[in-house]
Amino acid sequence: MKILVALLALAAPAAADPVVDRVVTGTILPRFAAFSEATAALEDAAAADCLATSPDLRAAWNAAFDAWLPASTFRIGPLEQEGRGLAIAFWPDPKGATDRALAALLAGDGAPLASGQTYAEVSVAARGLYALEAMLYDPDLNSYTEADPGCALTRAAAADLAALAAGVEADWRTDFAPLLQTAGAPGNTRFLSAHEARQAVFTQLVTQLGFDAETRVGRPLGSITRPRPLRAESRAAGRSLRNVTLSLAANRALAEALTDGGTEYLFAYFDYAQGVAARLDDPIFAGVDSPSGRLKIEELKTAIERVQDAASAELAAELGVAAGFNALDGD
Amino acid sequence: MTTRRGFLASLLAASTVPKLGWAAAGDPAFLAAARDADGSFALYGVGNDGADRFRLPLPARGHAGAVHPTEPLAVAFARRPGTFAVVLDCVTGETLARLDSPEGRHFMGHGSFSPDGALLYTAENDFVTTKGKIGLWSRAEGWRRIGELESHGIGPHDVQFLPGGQVMAVANGGIETNPAKGRDKLNLPVMRPNLSYLSLTGELLEQVELPAEWHRNSIRHLAIGPDGMVAFAMQWEDEPETAPPLLGLHRMGAEPVLAEAGEAEHRLMQGYVGSVAISGDGAQVAVSCPRGGRVVVFDTAGALLQVIPRADVCGLAPMGAGFVLTDGVGGLLHLEAGRLTPLGARARAWDNHAVALRS
Repeated sequence: MKILVALLALAAPAAADPVVDRVVTGTILPRFAAFSEATAALEDAAAADCLATSPDLRAAWNAAFDAWLPASTFRIGPLEQEGRGLAIAFWPDPKGATDRALAALLAGDGAPLASGQTYAEVSVAARGLYALEAMLYDPDLNSYTEADPGCALTRAAAADLAALAAGVEADWRTDFAPLLQTAGAPGNTRFLSAHEARQAVFTQLVTQLGFDAETRVGRPLGSITRPRPLRAESRAAGRSLRNVTLSLAANRALAEALTDGGTEYLFAYFDYAQGVAARLDDPIFAGVDSPSGRLKIEELKTAIERVQDAASAELAAELGVAAGFNALDGD
Repeated sequence: MTTRRGFLASLLAASTVPKLGWAAAGDPAFLAAARDADGSFALYGVGNDGADRFRLPLPARGHAGAVHPTEPLAVAFARRPGTFAVVLDCVTGETLARLDSPEGRHFMGHGSFSPDGALLYTAENDFVTTKGKIGLWSRAEGWRRIGELESHGIGPHDVQFLPGGQVMAVANGGIETNPAKGRDKLNLPVMRPNLSYLSLTGELLEQVELPAEWHRNSIRHLAIGPDGMVAFAMQWEDEPETAPPLLGLHRMGAEPVLAEAGEAEHRLMQGYVGSVAISGDGAQVAVSCPRGGRVVVFDTAGALLQVIPRADVCGLAPMGAGFVLTDGVGGLLHLEAGRLTPLGARARAWDNHAVALRS
């Protein structure tokens, strides 16, 4: 479902929004470019040495995940087309679909892919960053040798991921960034006004903060009577807190790109949340199981929610946008 | 079951009634509630060119409306848990009546006229017994409440007539609420939504439930096709990652078909459909996902056709051969033959639903 770009050649950016412009060129496009580069490096590393124990391969995978976090904020456009966002990052995985899909591909000694099949055609749960994490860090999966199907699978999955990232980057650059930057131009049915483009970009920030609080931290937190430590993201690779930390930093950078200095408390709330994350000595949120551990993790969740509230109030006011009327309260 | 002869007879009857009624109100294509830029609420009639035909102030935020089949009257319902509905003359702007829900009941935001326009049927929550009700109000008797029927489920949200006017479909959302607890959902672990078919006297003719694994998929909104197909749309009341299908298609006497958009698209829909509509030509069914920011279009067999990304889109109604989409930033778009044509953006936030006039 490619976005039609043809009509955009006609119109000069009627009232190009300076905020949207600078965020697109200075934040969004560079993030997708960096992610594409990092996944290309990951593909190379897997080709050079596919073993899960390879320090270079693990480093490349972590670097790709690091690069994913800042880009993942921008869910509109290419990532939401053809399920690419889910193919890059199949998480949460409440039913253990990734493990099952990988096990199915690895069953037997033969090649994981049928003749003529591409990795893009396998179950979405077996694609992307989290599937690769399982291959590299899950003790049930990561002891393959170079001769085993696991090696071929890891290489194919890494190549598939690099292709996905490159495709998303290209589509952002050639199709979706222009749609944002020519919002309100005749023929642009995606964004009918500069205001809509600005609101769309702003909404990505608020949504990402909500995801970090409710899903990254909230899912393992569970409830006091039922904590769910096994739900922490990237437990196998030990990255649960790291993901939150990097996402916070990326969100802060995005907020800095959005603002013209018209907020009062927002960055103080960022400081606070980032401080809580830095002081939290619990890389996979294992502390959700204990009262004292929970307290600190709840503090992190609350701190991120405060950032989200401040963004929804101050930054929205500065930008002249609002949260969704129907999205907030439908029926 | 309506015979074909009976169906055609009522179709003819409807088309011979002069359409003068709504022409006097500027021939709107659809009605939609909105919040204006100054924060006030209103019910708009909008033409198929996207231009306003009329604006009627509302006392509070409106939800859906019931559109009279022949006369330029509309009933605007307060959003759940609302205790008022207002009957509006769309030509003069006069409030003809204010309907108040009886003690122990409140409106659920939706209602429909019988095809002959004589009676208004309202979906209601009986929060004392928790059984759903359908209220009956008589236009001829000055909008007097003349009775009620059991909805055969908890939390009826939408009620609409099948062609022929003898059978009504009720979306029983299955969620127990009580105004004392605001909009809190009280019974999620045991909820059992259903789609019920009732005769005019309230007899349960048929009932459809989803598989037990999806009992927390609340059936909330309906669209009825010209051949009696019922499209029913859901809101998922459990973990978003489960991402079940949110649209079902059913014909009486058959099994429901769940429209499959694939795992990725289901996740992007965020477990929440705001509105469902059948295209003007009857060939497509669309759902709006205001949280997911998209309209998802299927064919009548439930196969995915198209996804239209649009932030805060919610109102969805047939227009022309296709659909009109409305959203919280005032946008109006016409979707037909896969092409999207903006009809402009207004300085208002369109609310959850757009209700088309029957053609």
